[in-house]
Amino acid sequence: MSIRVLSAELLKIRRKLIWLLVALGPGGVVGLTALNYGLRLDYLTKLHANDLWGGLIGDITALMVPALFMGLAIVSSMAAGIEHQTNAWKMTLALPVTRTQTFLGKFLLTSLLLLLSSTLTGLGTIALGLALGFEASGMSWGYLLEQIYYPYAAIMPFIALQVAMSVMMHNQALPLAVGVAGTVVSVFSGSRFGDWFPWRWPSLQNEANDPRFSAALGLIGGVVILAAGLMTFNKKDVK
Amino acid sequence: MNEPIVHMEGLTKKLGGRAVVDQVNASVEKGDIYGFLGPNGAGKTTTIRMLLGLSRPTSGSIRIFGRDIRRERIAVLRKVGSLVEYPSYYGHLSAIENLEAVRRLMHDVPRSRIDEVLSVVRLAKDANRQVKGYSLGMKQRLGIATAMLGRPELLVLDEPTNGLDPAGILEMRELIKSLPAEQGVTVIVSSHLLSEVEQMATRVGIISKGRMLFEDTIVELRRKARSRIVFGVSDPEGAWRLLLVCGYRAEWDRVKLFVEPGGDEEVAAMVAELVRHEHAVYRVEEERASLERIFLDMTRGEGSL
Repeated sequence: MSIRVLSAELLKIRRKLIWLLVALGPGGVVGLTALNYGLRLDYLTKLHANDLWGGLIGDITALMVPALFMGLAIVSSMAAGIEHQTNAWKMTLALPVTRTQTFLGKFLLTSLLLLLSSTLTGLGTIALGLALGFEASGMSWGYLLEQIYYPYAAIMPFIALQVAMSVMMHNQALPLAVGVAGTVVSVFSGSRFGDWFPWRWPSLQNEANDPRFSAALGLIGGVVILAAGLMTFNKKDVK
Repeated sequence: MNEPIVHMEGLTKKLGGRAVVDQVNASVEKGDIYGFLGPNGAGKTTTIRMLLGLSRPTSGSIRIFGRDIRRERIAVLRKVGSLVEYPSYYGHLSAIENLEAVRRLMHDVPRSRIDEVLSVVRLAKDANRQVKGYSLGMKQRLGIATAMLGRPELLVLDEPTNGLDPAGILEMRELIKSLPAEQGVTVIVSSHLLSEVEQMATRVGIISKGRMLFEDTIVELRRKARSRIVFGVSDPEGAWRLLLVCGYRAEWDRVKLFVEPGGDEEVAAMVAELVRHEHAVYRVEEERASLERIFLDMTRGEGSL
């Protein structure tokens, strides 16, 4: 059933700018990194001399995390906006679909689009590395996948939170403000807070020094916030 | 079989401590076109929202097809189509895509059904255009098509003629009237216009300030909404005295004469009487009781309006 809801959601974002955004994010991240390397290739290659690919991937991740924070706020707002625009909630929720499925549909749509963005970023990283003339054999697939998909897992609580807010508020100003604030906080939270601070998780920095720890925290947090969002949404009256 | 399609009992919804819908009882039988009538803000839309499970009643129960809407919402909604207030649509999609988005959320509705409903509401020609370019009437028709997509047994239409021009209203009315006969659907249609409901409903429920004031067949309502005849004459006072002398029950408000006639012959007899006594008769008009007057009559006893 959730697949059917998701397929309906995918149909609804046809011809929407949301698709452009999904490509624009990775394009920006890879583009900025390309610019960085283009301007000071000698310095950066000297800096990362013993692991060129690792250096590149690290630079990409540093930009990708704030881009993800920003992107998830905008994408979830746009996904919910499709319904808000013409007050279609009263139609959608009077269809033989449970509220849980409707909510999960929006959540899955947003997560899926961000997964696509993350994947595009990964592909862009490989393309950029090859374009810079790095040896293909020197790349660690494991490290690339880790640096691309662990932040995605760690950011799950925020996807759940943004979707919940965007779906339940008609006015999207507040969800977007929270999203922007989250982006800023995440950039500056690197070493200031302990592992308990969720905005720190997507940077994969933790005291155990194991990125899997951050990813796991993110997944658990995501489930908790998703469940809380679902319970609120199920009780809410529709305007 | 004798179970009503919709049965509400003691339905109450409180918003901010005020009862927007207050102890409403109503039942809708199979094949009815049930006119749900009331002024703006009377609680029609709130009742309909509860009917569709969009909001929760504070107390009371709703049974649709004999099932409790709160416990078996999905099973009920599978057989219900709805259009609540303004049409909901996705403006950037075509009519076909709009219907497809809804179809994917339904059970066992074949794709071919989309063309069927589009031709019922006569949108087949514009089916591939983006809906944001539609006129309000077309959007409203698309709303009806969406409501009918799942071959519902119950159609709930909230103010379906809102914002339509006279031609659109007529069209919508004809469409709604044809539904029970052609598709075997039971229809609940809300409106704030008596004239509107009178022309299509078989049963009527009148709600005001959250309370159900009247629920009966349209025939019964017509009896209440009896019309009166207005006379415009040269000498109203003299004419009034004359009619009273002749044994008719006439009223006079210093400008015009009002009578509640028993039939056409009686009107003819009154006119003949007036003419014989050389009153100049300027106008003989029939004045239909407005919804407002019926409301006033109904609520006068409670003194609450």
